[in-house]
Amino acid sequence: MADASIEFKGSSFTLSVLHLKTTTLADLREDLIKKVAQAPDFFYLVPIVVDIERVDSSIDYQSVKLLVEEFKFTFVGFTGSVAKEQKKLIRELGFSFVNSANSPANNTAKVDTSTKPVAAKPLAEPKNKQAEFVPKLELYTDKIHRGQIRSGQQIYAKGQNLVVIGSVSAGAEVIADGNIHVYGSLRGRAIAGAKGHHQAQIYCQNLEAELVSINGNYWLSESMEQHWSSPAYIHLSDTELVSSKLI
Amino acid sequence: MARIIVVTSGKGGVGKTTSSAAIGIGLALKGHKVVLIDFDIGLRNLDLIMGCERRVVYDFVNVINGEATLNQALIKDKRVSSLSILPASQTRDKDALNKENVGKVLDDLGERFDYIICDSPAGIEAGAMMALYYADEAIVTTNPEVSSVRDSDRILGMLASRSRRAELGLDPIKEHLLLTRYSPKRVEEGEMLSVEDVEDILAIPLLGVIPESQAVLKASNAGEPVILDTESDAGKAYQDVIDRLLGETVEFRFLVAEKKGILSRLFGG
Repeated sequence: MADASIEFKGSSFTLSVLHLKTTTLADLREDLIKKVAQAPDFFYLVPIVVDIERVDSSIDYQSVKLLVEEFKFTFVGFTGSVAKEQKKLIRELGFSFVNSANSPANNTAKVDTSTKPVAAKPLAEPKNKQAEFVPKLELYTDKIHRGQIRSGQQIYAKGQNLVVIGSVSAGAEVIADGNIHVYGSLRGRAIAGAKGHHQAQIYCQNLEAELVSINGNYWLSESMEQHWSSPAYIHLSDTELVSSKLI
Repeated sequence: MARIIVVTSGKGGVGKTTSSAAIGIGLALKGHKVVLIDFDIGLRNLDLIMGCERRVVYDFVNVINGEATLNQALIKDKRVSSLSILPASQTRDKDALNKENVGKVLDDLGERFDYIICDSPAGIEAGAMMALYYADEAIVTTNPEVSSVRDSDRILGMLASRSRRAELGLDPIKEHLLLTRYSPKRVEEGEMLSVEDVEDILAIPLLGVIPESQAVLKASNAGEPVILDTESDAGKAYQDVIDRLLGETVEFRFLVAEKKGILSRLFGG
């Protein structure tokens, strides 16, 4: 076997998940048009899994697949915690069914590998499921930076939250795998959840950022008008960034 | 131990050389032994501003290369005897300097002078890095406009990471903000950043605010540093800068536009 030309191995990836809230194709199309128009390049050929948990089984699987492909996503399969029969049906129709790593089915099967207590969500709340295919949720520690982060400087808190006691200048960049806290003005770029952490948030005492990004979803300054020049935090609801007043 | 002060900015044309000359003369007039070094190799200007361009025989690069001694290259100012100038070379480029040799020259100068003022070239390349490397203090010269402030911010990042003090983990370089070409009238009209705006962005202590003044250009062309023009606003503002550098608390002047009386308005005063 050693010199076989191929080798199969398991690996974890972060995949985008499209959560369906309706089975009406016209509505789905309309919302997809709006979404994709916001960042056409960002979505181009992005592998996507369609979550059908929140819709009933009357769904037209073939049409949904064609719909997402029409928007240039690369369709991977369906996911969601659904009945065994439905999974079977999906496979019989020729589509993959992807078990989310922290769906109940997997949680029971992989208890040994889930080393982090936070990740194991109660089975009674499957709707709180995370969007990541990677189940790894860490308890982030903090990287603390005292003082200004100047134009041209870049700080990366790898596997950590980033706390900046000072301002982040225009032209500077702060990146964290966890959350970003700026006790000062955020005028540069802030990228939180850099390795695909959907719950990451960005907090600052004065929001004047050039760009904020959480788990790959980003905003330029023009989207921050609502809380511009005031204390605010940015978080993700599903796949949309939301800013809220801090105090 | 001499205090090594670099006058830097990132952006060009904001008044580094004008400020270096004024500060050099100002400190010397207070009785301190001062040497001004022009680090802008290849574009020497400091000797012009100081009015000693015709007396340059040997320069900084000659000293670095061992072709001349410090005594041969240093030009004593004719107005203030405790001030000397080490001019830049016009014919070489910035690669002529290296850390080790610059360090040696600064050590030698440190034994003879109280203050070493390094006039940095613009930019963030080798020449500017060389000028700030050995500094104990930095006077970050900034115009009240966004690109200049952005470049100053960049230089402040360099001061904190690329200097000798940063590399050896010593106390950081003491940073001062010098705002030049300030026009209170244009600030009121919203065309220019205010002192508060710049302080807010750069977050370093303010050393001085030099008002936009016709006297500066006149002084540069005449080779008479503007601080010697004691009648001008700019000259007075530089005088305040010297006092603050020497540890005095001096109130800031020239921050609000002068209200013109009706007569001067009528007659274009």
